[in-house]
Amino acid sequence: MPRQEPGATATALAAPPVLATTNFSLWYGKHQALHDVTLEVPERQVTAVIGPSGCGKSTWLRSLNRMNDLLGTVRTEGAVCYRGTDIYGPQVDAVEVRRRIGMVFQKPNPFPKSIRDNLAFPLRINGLRDGIEQRIETALKRAALWEEVKDRLSRGALELSGGQQQRLCIARALVTEPEILLMDEPCSALDPGSTARVEDLIQELAQRYTVVIVTHNMQQAARVSQNTAFFYLGRLEEFGATREMFAKPAKKRTEDYITGRFG
Amino acid sequence: MHATASAGLALAQRASSVGDNAPYVAIAQVEAGSAAERLGLAQGDALLTIGGAVVHGVREVWDTIAALPAEATEKQIAWMPNLEALLGELELTAVAEQPGVFRPRLAYVGTDTVAAKAGLRDGDVLLTANGMLLQGSQQTWQALAIAAREGSDPVQLAIERDGKREVVPFAVRREGVLPLDRSLFAAIWHFCTSLDEPRYPEHAGLASAILGSLLVVLVTMLFAFPLGIAAAVYLEEYAKRSRLTTVLQVLIANLAGIPSVVYGIIGLEIIDRTLGLGRSILTGGITLGLMILPVMILGCREALRTVPPWVRHAAYAVGATPSQVVWYQVLPYAMPGMLTAMILAISRAIGEAAPLIMLGAFLFVTYLPKNLMDSFTVVPIQIFTWATRPQAGYETIAAVAIVVLLVLLFVLNGTAIYLRNRCQLRW
Repeated sequence: MPRQEPGATATALAAPPVLATTNFSLWYGKHQALHDVTLEVPERQVTAVIGPSGCGKSTWLRSLNRMNDLLGTVRTEGAVCYRGTDIYGPQVDAVEVRRRIGMVFQKPNPFPKSIRDNLAFPLRINGLRDGIEQRIETALKRAALWEEVKDRLSRGALELSGGQQQRLCIARALVTEPEILLMDEPCSALDPGSTARVEDLIQELAQRYTVVIVTHNMQQAARVSQNTAFFYLGRLEEFGATREMFAKPAKKRTEDYITGRFG
Repeated sequence: MHATASAGLALAQRASSVGDNAPYVAIAQVEAGSAAERLGLAQGDALLTIGGAVVHGVREVWDTIAALPAEATEKQIAWMPNLEALLGELELTAVAEQPGVFRPRLAYVGTDTVAAKAGLRDGDVLLTANGMLLQGSQQTWQALAIAAREGSDPVQLAIERDGKREVVPFAVRREGVLPLDRSLFAAIWHFCTSLDEPRYPEHAGLASAILGSLLVVLVTMLFAFPLGIAAAVYLEEYAKRSRLTTVLQVLIANLAGIPSVVYGIIGLEIIDRTLGLGRSILTGGITLGLMILPVMILGCREALRTVPPWVRHAAYAVGATPSQVVWYQVLPYAMPGMLTAMILAISRAIGEAAPLIMLGAFLFVTYLPKNLMDSFTVVPIQIFTWATRPQAGYETIAAVAIVVLLVLLFVLNGTAIYLRNRCQLRW
């Protein structure tokens, strides 16, 4: 192990962080939705993003795989670095970014096709033609859905229950082996039983993937994440280990939000 | 209608010079080798009764046949032979006491005519038949037919022979059983597989019009469907909002409301003359395709707008390029709606006659189009043509053609709906 230079931190010497935003600002037309967000997402951990409605947490999440580009009138400043490369850089193709950084949405949104087609589509558009069945099986197993659907892969995905659909969407995000999984309130449309299953799944996924999850639910953030970022009015107010933040928030506003004084 | 045609007859309704020009049914044509010929019917004969009922017109013939009992009776049809077979040759002779008045006189009876067998001789002057005055040669024959049809048989024929008046019973009726194919299926099949006939409606068919319509609609579909989808996809998915696209959208919406004749003029000038495609099926199909294109584009855009945003987001999120999103997710999702748009557009195209008449009025086509460069007619134009023909009976087959057009429309739409449902099932 190389000797550390005095004064250098451990992160500075390690490989570039898997995902980081630096002085990142974003405008929807004239409205500025994010102000100078600087945050480094720890690798192979779950990072929860909390904050009141309209605080910019979903906007920030969608910036991480350039889904905001689809809205048309978005302007950004600063950098979002994936393994040291600014994904907003001129050489970077947004399509390539989204293949490396998977995303799961608030409402389960499987394609209105068969279960198999849902998983085969990302593989096919990525030019992966070999071992499709094997990859589908692996993804479904990682999403804890394999046992429930292995006999009916040709059935329509919309026949599944809401919780199963959301796990199918997770499998769909995983099937191309991304490094990072972004989740935008993945349980808000699910019943408590399905929520519990998805939460267990998120914990498991963190062993293999870096997970960023936006949630409205404090308890959920506390249950599933190792790190928490608190956004307020488009700014990152506080970021740190979940346990510490929930036990002893550094800022008054964080404490007020966590304890439910505003929402 | 098909019944008389199937027996080998073509009928014509004619006005006589008797009374108030009383109409009668003449046998206009007898097919060689047909049942009618074997029975002894010949061209120029008059059809008198069917099933014992007097017939005055062609429509009446068909209606009477339709109402006949299934069992044919011995006197199923009655007719009167034509002038030559009935009376031989007639000449007109002046009446001494009345200048300017002429009477028919038998010039040459021969041996085989009905008149000869009834004992009439050359030189007999014909005066009245059942009291009707006989004047000219055609009129004499017509008067005999009407007398035989409506009065007694034999006809009481008053003649003048050697200066003396006599009344001769003259049996002119012929009776027999004509095999009539009255099955509806045979009639429809015959109608849909025969070519147009300019004189005898019972022989005219819709075959070339049906084939023409199908081919034109095929070209229309092949032209308008891909182009409509492509334009809609471009405007909905790719085009940036600019002044140009706004203007384009307004223009397309306006084009959808332009009278169809205008498209006929465009087709005539640009596709027929400038592009040199002639008055062909291709020209007709492309003209109708241009006509329905705005409607197609509007319909397809509506269908694309029904695709929920989450379908696009889900596809983008797994790394699809914009064209992959459109091709694999958005288009399949919108396809049923697009097929609905096509059904509506095609329904309009298939019933359209005006722009095609502009293109050069294919009003009378007696052949089947062999390829897409042939001239053609379509069902609406054929209906229009038939409805304006003077002969009795064409208005009837025009009505039948309207029903066929409706059925054709149902079949085409049914196919499209079946396709649409299959698209939906695959979800």
